[in-house]
Amino acid sequence: MIHSASSAEALPTPGNGVEKMLSKGDGQVLAIRDVSKRYGPVTALRGVSLELRRGEVLALVGDNGAGKSTLVSIISGVSKPDTGEVLIDGEPFAEHGPKAAREAGVETVFQNLALVQTLSIADNVYLGRELYRGGAVGRALRFLDKRRMRREVEAAFDRLGLDLPPVTAKAGALSGGQRQAVAIARAVLWQRKVVVMDEPVAALGVRQTEAVLSLVEGLSEHGVATLLVSHNMEHVLRVAHRVAVMRLGRKVADLDLRNGEVSGMQLVGLITGGMTEADL
Amino acid sequence: MAGLSDVLRAKPRVNLSINTVDHHALRRLGAAQGGGLFVALLALGTYFTFANSSFLTRSNLLVILLQVSVVGMVAVPGAMLLVAGKLDLSVGSLAGLVAACFGEFNKVMGWPLGLSIAGALLVGALWGLMNGVLVGYFRFSPVIVTLGGYAGASGVAQTITADATRSGFGPAFAVLGNGQVVGIPAPVVIFVAVFVVGVYCWYETPIGRHLIGIGANPEAAEAVGVATRRLPCLIYVLSGLAAAAGGLILTSQLDGASVQIGLGLELEVLTAILLGGVAFNGGRGSLWGTLAGILFIGVLDDGLILINIGPYVANLAVGAALIVAAGLDVLYQRIERLPMRIIDAESSGNDSTGGSEQPETVGGVATREYGTR
Repeated sequence: MIHSASSAEALPTPGNGVEKMLSKGDGQVLAIRDVSKRYGPVTALRGVSLELRRGEVLALVGDNGAGKSTLVSIISGVSKPDTGEVLIDGEPFAEHGPKAAREAGVETVFQNLALVQTLSIADNVYLGRELYRGGAVGRALRFLDKRRMRREVEAAFDRLGLDLPPVTAKAGALSGGQRQAVAIARAVLWQRKVVVMDEPVAALGVRQTEAVLSLVEGLSEHGVATLLVSHNMEHVLRVAHRVAVMRLGRKVADLDLRNGEVSGMQLVGLITGGMTEADL
Repeated sequence: MAGLSDVLRAKPRVNLSINTVDHHALRRLGAAQGGGLFVALLALGTYFTFANSSFLTRSNLLVILLQVSVVGMVAVPGAMLLVAGKLDLSVGSLAGLVAACFGEFNKVMGWPLGLSIAGALLVGALWGLMNGVLVGYFRFSPVIVTLGGYAGASGVAQTITADATRSGFGPAFAVLGNGQVVGIPAPVVIFVAVFVVGVYCWYETPIGRHLIGIGANPEAAEAVGVATRRLPCLIYVLSGLAAAAGGLILTSQLDGASVQIGLGLELEVLTAILLGGVAFNGGRGSLWGTLAGILFIGVLDDGLILINIGPYVANLAVGAALIVAAGLDVLYQRIERLPMRIIDAESSGNDSTGGSEQPETVGGVATREYGTR
């Protein structure tokens, strides 16, 4: 039995604290309403609607060209939808662009885009959002409070249960998984509402993949909504509460994964078109 | 978030602190590269001290500082530009243009001294603003724009002066280049003040890290809200102002406003910055290193004259030092990438995701989407 996930029931989570948090209202943070996008003669998205609630991990799956990446670029503010709208907490983006999306609370984690290699982990996390020393003088002179920034970053890693190299290590010396972890920690520290991850583990080895997936689960416990684009059904079934299947620019299925009744084979069937939601 | 602590405590920790790389050792290596020039400087100083007893005297050290003060004050914004992946080749010609304008203002148009100085500084700032708008906002190539300025500023200066050199600006103006403040030459005082402000901006405000971010990864810097257009533009204005101040100091020292006054300044500045370890493509470097580069050239020039070896050898030594700096740059880049290789080697071959494509930029993803349909 598959439940449609659009109902406003609370998500089952490992702890009581999270359930309390989720039970405030329906907790919807991201709503995509009837979004379409054409690139010249090609229709990349046809009337896609999607909802994401606080603390929820939504997996977005589909074959190449199904429209996943277009959808991600629209949510992260890089592309503009032809029709339809993206709402964060019920509000549309103030203006178009990645910066506006960030300000609205959407953090997009890309593999290579996010960090300045020659700056330290702590500097990277606070880049563009530096903390100044207290008092009017400190702020007026834009006097950096480096120690407080280092401590805050260490505390954020600790909250996420994350062991990383010292925060003074240069980002360039980090592995792919460590960089993902830093970018994810940044989203938590800056209190983003929605984190979008496009294939976060595609280039990672087994151990680092495991660590990043654990972090995704940790994000959910912090009440952050996560949109996870992935080709790996095993990962999807493990960390996602819900899955949206894209095919040829449409959303063909939106399934609840919490009761464990959906199999990887069924998802592959939906992705390839060998199966429809009605067959389940 | 406090209510979550119980949940989190129950969770196993995510361990990504790989032990094969000693990050502290890596940082020390980086510091050693920056400090290497200071060590070379110290060695050079020690040698000259023993070779000639007049090297390590107060007056000779002040001479060295005086010699490097103009190059030094222009190198402060210059290093900021280079670390952001920008460049200002127009500073030498601009110093000449500013000198020429000052001469015209004061001698031909009869402006009072203060107004002439202010007008001359304004010329420098406006030229810097033009560079900054073109490079910062319109994303023109910094090399081409400021190479244009290198030729253009000289051209403008020659046109307005008809190649005449103005002189006789009086004792008040002579103080700027030849005067002393508590026994220290005025240009040295100005250089030290500029450098101290530069160090504050570079290390204690967001400016330094933002410039490094712009130089190393402009897309990432832009995405997190760094002013990737406004900030370089502002530094170009400061570079123009510093060049103008340098031009006025040289004019005061010679008591002559010549178009030729800043000849070669841009290359001396660039040499000092590169010696100091700022990467030519930006993204890495320090202002302290730049100071070492400035002093290295000054000490070398001064010391070689003291031990009766001509300026040609000094040029040769600076050239050799630059090549060593280029070699260190390559070495440092290799060291930087070393841990990545170790980690990648550790985890390669067991990629369990099965996805062959890797996300790159959003734009790239979007075009891929388009292309595969």
